[in-house]
Amino acid sequence: MSKKEGLLNRRDFFRKAAFGVTVAGVSALLSTTGEAAQGEGRPKKYGMVIDLNRCIGCHGCTIACKSENNVPDGLFRSWVKIAMKGTYPNVSLHFLPRLCNNCEDAPCLNLCPTGATYRTPEDGVVHVNRDVCVGCRICVVACPYGSRFPNPITGTADKCDFCYHRITKGLQPACVDACTGKARIFGDLNDPESAVSRYMKSHSTQRLRADLDTRPKVHYVNADETLMGPDYHAMLKRRRGK
Amino acid sequence: MNEGSQYIYWVSHNIALGYLIAWYLWLISLAEGTHIIAHLSWLYYRTEDYIPLEKVGSLQPFIILALVPLFLVIDLGRPERFYTMFYHWHWTSPVAYGVYIITICMFTYALHSYYLFRPELIYLARQPGRLQFLYRLLTFNSSEKGSPNEIRKRQERREHFWAGASLFFSFLGLIYLGILLSSFKGRVMWHSSVMVFIFFSFGACSGSAFLILLTHIKNALSKAEYRSILYQQQYLAEFGILLKYSLLAQAGVFFIYFVLMHYTGIGGRLVAHVFFSGPRAFQFWFFQVAIGIALPFLLMIFKRMRESVFISSLASVCTLIGTLFGCINIFIGGQMLPMTHINWEVLPPEPEKMAIGIVLMAVMFFTFIGTYRFLPYERIES
Repeated sequence: MSKKEGLLNRRDFFRKAAFGVTVAGVSALLSTTGEAAQGEGRPKKYGMVIDLNRCIGCHGCTIACKSENNVPDGLFRSWVKIAMKGTYPNVSLHFLPRLCNNCEDAPCLNLCPTGATYRTPEDGVVHVNRDVCVGCRICVVACPYGSRFPNPITGTADKCDFCYHRITKGLQPACVDACTGKARIFGDLNDPESAVSRYMKSHSTQRLRADLDTRPKVHYVNADETLMGPDYHAMLKRRRGK
Repeated sequence: MNEGSQYIYWVSHNIALGYLIAWYLWLISLAEGTHIIAHLSWLYYRTEDYIPLEKVGSLQPFIILALVPLFLVIDLGRPERFYTMFYHWHWTSPVAYGVYIITICMFTYALHSYYLFRPELIYLARQPGRLQFLYRLLTFNSSEKGSPNEIRKRQERREHFWAGASLFFSFLGLIYLGILLSSFKGRVMWHSSVMVFIFFSFGACSGSAFLILLTHIKNALSKAEYRSILYQQQYLAEFGILLKYSLLAQAGVFFIYFVLMHYTGIGGRLVAHVFFSGPRAFQFWFFQVAIGIALPFLLMIFKRMRESVFISSLASVCTLIGTLFGCINIFIGGQMLPMTHINWEVLPPEPEKMAIGIVLMAVMFFTFIGTYRFLPYERIES
C-alpha cells in the first residue's frame, strides 16, 4: 500500500468525525434519558427545617450533639446564636441554631485538595474522610458558615454530618431528637411526602448567605436578619462610635 | 438596620490558618518573583557579565522552593500524610494544582541552575583540587572538551529550554497564589480578581529587592575580579529602577483594590477598615506602606542612591519586610473578618511555629552562603 493510500482523505475524515459526534450525542442522550427514567427513585436529599417560632434557645441540641459525636471541649458541630434586639421596652430575643448546611455547592468540598471532603451521592450529605484528610484547614477557612473546625484529637477537619451513623439506621439526628420545642424537622427534601417537604410547602423559609449561592440544605422559618450572617453594618457602626 | 441589636451568645471560630501559611505564600511569591526578574533581565541584557546574577536568581529560588513545603507540612494537622496531596488529587481545588506547580517549578529551577553552572563545573572538574570529586559528581563525570564559553554555546538550546520552562512555571506559581486566595468565595477580602495582580506586584518588588540584596552579599564574599563586580553593580543599580517602578505598581494595585472593595458593598468597606483603621492598621501603615513602599521608593529615586551598596541593600531589606507584611496583612486580615458574628476573629499567638519559620529562613540563607563556597557563581574567564 502506498503512503498516499494509507492517509485519510478529507471526505473520510469528515465522515468519520460526523459518525463519532453522532455516537457521542446519542450516548449522551441515552444516558440523560436513563437518569430521567430513574427520576421516580431519585436519590435522597437530606435536609432540615428549623422553625424559630418553636426554638426556645435551650441549647439541648448543642449538648445532644456534643455527647453523640464526642465533640472536643470548646468546639461545636451544632450551637445556638442568641441576640437581643431593640431598646427597652420594645425588646425581642432571637435564636439561630447553627450546624453544617451540607450545601449542594459546598465551598469546603470544592477547595479540599485531597478530596477528603466528599458527598455521598445517595443522600447528598457532605462528609470528611478522616483517613484521607491531611488537616490543612482550607475547608475550615472556606466554609462561609463557620461550620467546620480542626479537631485536635484526630488532627483532621470535623463537621456535622446530620449524625450519619443514626440516619442510615432510620433514626433522627441527635439534635432533632433532643429539641425541646420540636423546632427541627429532618428528612428527605426530594420526597414530597416527607415531613420536611410538607413543612417547607406550608411555610416560607430562608437560607443563610443566599448571596453566595451555596444552596444550603438547612432552612429556617422566621429567622431574624441580624443573626443570619456576619453583621458588618454593626461592626462599621461600632468603628464610627455610633 | 439592626438598630440596637446585641449579641448574647455566639461561637468564635478563631483564625484557622496562621503565620506559617502567610510565610509560605510570601516565600513562594519571593522565589517566583526573583526568578522572573533575574531571567527577564537576562533576556534584556544578554551579556556574559550578567550570568552570575542569573545564577543567583535561579539557585536561591530553588533553595527556597525546596524548603518552603516544610512550612506547609509543619502546619498540617496530620503532617505525616502530606504526600497524599500528590495522589489524592481533587481537580476543583487550587491547592491540588499548586502542589504540582510548585514541585515542577522547583525542578525546572534546579535544571536551569544546573545548565547555568555546568560549563564552569566541567572546567573545574578537570582541575585537580579538593573539590574535584564533587565537581565530577555534579557534572556526571562529563568529558566534554572546550572552554566554559564553548560548552555554554553548545548547551545553549537546553539551557534556554529550561529557562523558558522555569519562567512559565514561575508565572503560573504567582497566578496560583492569586487564584488560591480568590477562590474562597465567602472571604470578602480575598474573593477578588485583583489578588493575582497583588501577588504579581509582591513578586516583582520582593524579587528585585532579593536579587539586589543577595548579589551584594555574594559580592561581599566574592573573590571575583574587580571589573566583574563593577559590571554587576551597574546591573544592580538598574535593578534599583525596576524596584522603584515595582513599588509604584504595588501601590497602584493596592489603590485599585481598595477602590474595587469600596464598590463591593458593606463587606468591602469593612475590608478597607481592617487596613486603614482596624486591627491591621499599624502593620499596614507602618510596615507595609511606610517601611515597605514609601521608604524604599524614596531611597531608589536618585541614581547615586541606587549605586550605593548600603542604600540599595537597605531599600531591599525594607521592601522585603513590606511585602512580607503585605502578605500577612492580606492573609491574616482576610480571616479576621467574621463569618457568623460581629467581633473580629482572633489569632492566638504561635511562638513555636514562628520560631520554626525563623529557623527555616536562617537555613535557607545559610544554604545560599554555603553554596557560594563551592559553586562557581563567577565566570571562569573573568
